[in-house]
Amino acid sequence: MKSPPQSAATPVFHVRGLTKVYGAGTAEVRALAGVDLDLNAGELVVLLGPSGSGKTTLLNQLGGLDIPTAGELRYRDLDLAHADEARLTRYRRESVGFVFQFYNLIPSLTARENVGLITELARAPLTPEAALGMVGLTSRMDHFPAQLSGGEQQRVAIARAIAKRPEVLLCDEPTGALDVKTGITVLEAIRRANRELGTLTVIITHNAVMAAMADRVIRFSDGRVQSESHNANPAAPDTLQW
Amino acid sequence: MLSHLDRKLLRDLVRLKGQAAAVSLVMACGLAMLIMARSLIHSLETTRAAYYQANHFADLFASLKRAPNDLGARIAALPGVATVQTDLAVPVTLDLPGLAEPASGLVRSLPDFGAPELNRLFLRRGAWLSPGARGEVLVGEAFAKANALNPGDPLTLLLNGRRQTFRIAGIVLSPEYIFESRPGAALPDSRTYGIFWMPYKEVATAWNLYGAFNHVAATLAPGASSPAVIAELDRLLVPYGGRGAYGRKDHPSHIRVTDEIRVLTILSIGFPAIFLCVASFMTNSVLSRLLALQREQIAILKAFGFSNRQIAAHYLKFAFVMVAGGVLLGLLGGVVLGRQLVGMYELMFRFPDLAFQLDFSAVAIALAVGLGAVTLGVFSSVRQAARLPPAEAMRPEPPASYAPSGLERLGLKRLLSHSFRIAVRNLERRPMQALFTVAGLALATALLILPNTFKAGIADILDFKWDVVQRQDINLGLVEPSSARIAHELAQLPGVTSLEPSRLAAVRIHFNGRSRQIGLRSLLPNARHSRAVDHAGREIPPPTDGLIVSAKLAEVLGARVGDLLVVEALEGRRPVKTLPITGLAEDFTGIAAYMELSAINRFLGEGDVITGASLGLDLDKRGEFLAALKKIPRVSTVAIKESMRKSFRETTAQMMGLIQSIYLMFSVVVAFGVIYNNARISLAERARELATLRVIGMTQHEVGAIIVIELVILAVLAVPLGLVMGTGFATVIISTVSTETVRLPLVFTSYTYAFAVLVVVTASFFSALVVLRKLKQLDLIATLKAPE
Repeated sequence: MKSPPQSAATPVFHVRGLTKVYGAGTAEVRALAGVDLDLNAGELVVLLGPSGSGKTTLLNQLGGLDIPTAGELRYRDLDLAHADEARLTRYRRESVGFVFQFYNLIPSLTARENVGLITELARAPLTPEAALGMVGLTSRMDHFPAQLSGGEQQRVAIARAIAKRPEVLLCDEPTGALDVKTGITVLEAIRRANRELGTLTVIITHNAVMAAMADRVIRFSDGRVQSESHNANPAAPDTLQW
Repeated sequence: MLSHLDRKLLRDLVRLKGQAAAVSLVMACGLAMLIMARSLIHSLETTRAAYYQANHFADLFASLKRAPNDLGARIAALPGVATVQTDLAVPVTLDLPGLAEPASGLVRSLPDFGAPELNRLFLRRGAWLSPGARGEVLVGEAFAKANALNPGDPLTLLLNGRRQTFRIAGIVLSPEYIFESRPGAALPDSRTYGIFWMPYKEVATAWNLYGAFNHVAATLAPGASSPAVIAELDRLLVPYGGRGAYGRKDHPSHIRVTDEIRVLTILSIGFPAIFLCVASFMTNSVLSRLLALQREQIAILKAFGFSNRQIAAHYLKFAFVMVAGGVLLGLLGGVVLGRQLVGMYELMFRFPDLAFQLDFSAVAIALAVGLGAVTLGVFSSVRQAARLPPAEAMRPEPPASYAPSGLERLGLKRLLSHSFRIAVRNLERRPMQALFTVAGLALATALLILPNTFKAGIADILDFKWDVVQRQDINLGLVEPSSARIAHELAQLPGVTSLEPSRLAAVRIHFNGRSRQIGLRSLLPNARHSRAVDHAGREIPPPTDGLIVSAKLAEVLGARVGDLLVVEALEGRRPVKTLPITGLAEDFTGIAAYMELSAINRFLGEGDVITGASLGLDLDKRGEFLAALKKIPRVSTVAIKESMRKSFRETTAQMMGLIQSIYLMFSVVVAFGVIYNNARISLAERARELATLRVIGMTQHEVGAIIVIELVILAVLAVPLGLVMGTGFATVIISTVSTETVRLPLVFTSYTYAFAVLVVVTASFFSALVVLRKLKQLDLIATLKAPE
């Protein structure tokens, strides 16, 4: 198991004064207003905040889906704020796993193939079978998305995200479209991937209950980090209730 | 003030301008053709009808050897005859200073005083003949134009062997010569053949026909039956050497215009029907797929309380904008192209004023067809969207059901990449949609075959058929049947390398109650010049006891090889004989029957007689030859093959060429429209999926491959189908437009097919480029946030 929160090692992400502005003039929206943040290897971070607080915008910047208006954003040695499209594509391909609220599986591919699609791109991936095993879907591997429940689809999405052994796993409201019981199985899958693969995992949510399972909780509002707290003993997902 | 819903409509249209424009454009192509062809038909028909009426065009016509003028009164007394006009029609040879070869023509007489009862002339330029004056002539416009003749110019004619110089009084048109060509010739050669009008007295004096006539025209009384009157007239004229009366429908000039209208009619149905089919397919698929994309929006509108009817109306408006665009563009295109083509008709037909007239019923049809196609498309898809309860529709669409594709079930799984698998399964999951797309693409491919097949047919006639059937350089016609000895005289002319005598006789052929008046042409055994050639290009030996007929003639009569035809000679002692068909000749202009030369003479009961000859010529001595020929007065017609070919190139070929270029252009537009639209909609439908793939690290090209593979699979399925369909369409349309005057051989070249494939490949390539460019602009974040 990888190391705990306060490791003195170089952070995976180094964020300083990160600003993102959409539009111009009177239509200007300041989604990020100077974020300072370090995210370390192997952490499970819950980013908590009301909708409109800028947490998704931050996640998009971290995932290389968007570039900031101003400020510093580094992933290891890579300057994400100034990388070109090809470099960002390679970054996403090699280093980042995404989990979305609405799963975004490819409907025409089976669970195994959805994962296989990614392992073909990666350098040292898990096998699709191993990744699906990790999220408890060994018996459903050859089903198409339409034949899976919402929770199962989301677990396929997690398997897809972790199969390439990314250094970073970014989850945007992963349980937002699910009921409590299903949501817990999904969180368990995320937690297991984080612990077993040592993946830096960032979950964004407006559900404060999830904070209990995090190593570190970052509260976000108005485009800024409001507060940070550490859990010495993160709770197991199946103890959460909401 | 626009309602908010209309504002949404407007913005949706702006967003989808590419697809909307493609639909409008494809529709416009079909409609432009429909409007163009229907309007040309309308223009020709109304102009001709007005011309016939204003200038008293006759209903019946007959030529005879000679009859006294008072026979006219007996003709007028026949039951069913209303008005009679007798006149003289005599052949003439001309000596034009600017023309190397001898020109010939026909002189028609006009009453010495006053206008004729029937077939009145239209004065284009100059003046009418002055009453009682001598030495004046009126010249037909086609000949005058081709030889740059103007009122006041002198014109030297050889009237019955006597050289006389006339002054051109005026340039005229006649309803009898809308198509001005040598009798029996399918193609005009206005440079060397013309029609002239002179006072009766002048013509009758020159030909010793004073007090007689040799041509008669008549109109029918209301309700009279044309065949009955023709039979009566024939009976009356037989003692005077009548050559068989005929009605308007057998009048050579009338037939030509009717044939042209027939060709246009088929083109106005065949081509636009296919185009509109493609347009409907396309509109339908575009609309249903666009509406599927607007599923949530429809649900929200319903949740807000809009009725299904209002929603359907909203999307109908959307579709109507595309139709309106298509109809407007089609109208504009139809009018512009129609005007252009009317100009071309002036090369072939002589009307006082052939103006383009828009056929409003065609515009109405166009509008109705366009509206029908989109209304159908909107209703089927709006109904689907409207059936959903709003709450369900607002939730993101559940992932669509997929199954492993047939290819994979065949065990080819290992060979297939993920991109390929996604593409194949996507196609298999919506077989109807794939089928529609393949059908649209196949039709677009098929359309590309047709115009080039026309072109190949024309080229085949110009470059090949012409020389296979007629290997001589020149055909000569004599003023009247002459002893075969004249052939020796002609063979002595400078430059003549070979000579074969020929015999042409007017006959009427009967079979099973159907009949046609045609020329019976002679053939020689082992001929080096004119030959009869079958559909495979093999020579058919000339029969001594039987007939070879044009394949088209057999078709018109409903006869086959071996059937017995009744051949009635219309000259000499007018013998009648029953002869079997021994072969079908694949000739490409006119209809005729062929027989061995001596057999014709035996049949007619004449000795060793010829009416013309075909000549091979040393082209270096062409000038000398023509100069010498001008001195032989018994030669009345000279048809130089190269001149005929040139004339064909400049009239029929140019005309068909223009029409085909227009159609080809439209076909290319349609192919591009169909393929482009398909790619764009695939992209729109799959934006979310493709964005996901981009986010998880696939490059633009890897993602683009999915759409491109899909496009390629569709094209691979559609193109061969389209080539087969196109071959079928072309066969049907070309065999239907083949008429008794001109026929096109059915020639499918590898160029035709290669062109079609190339256009589809190019269109696919550019559409793929556009898709790849659009993929670059794909908003990854927005697409992932939540379903639209």
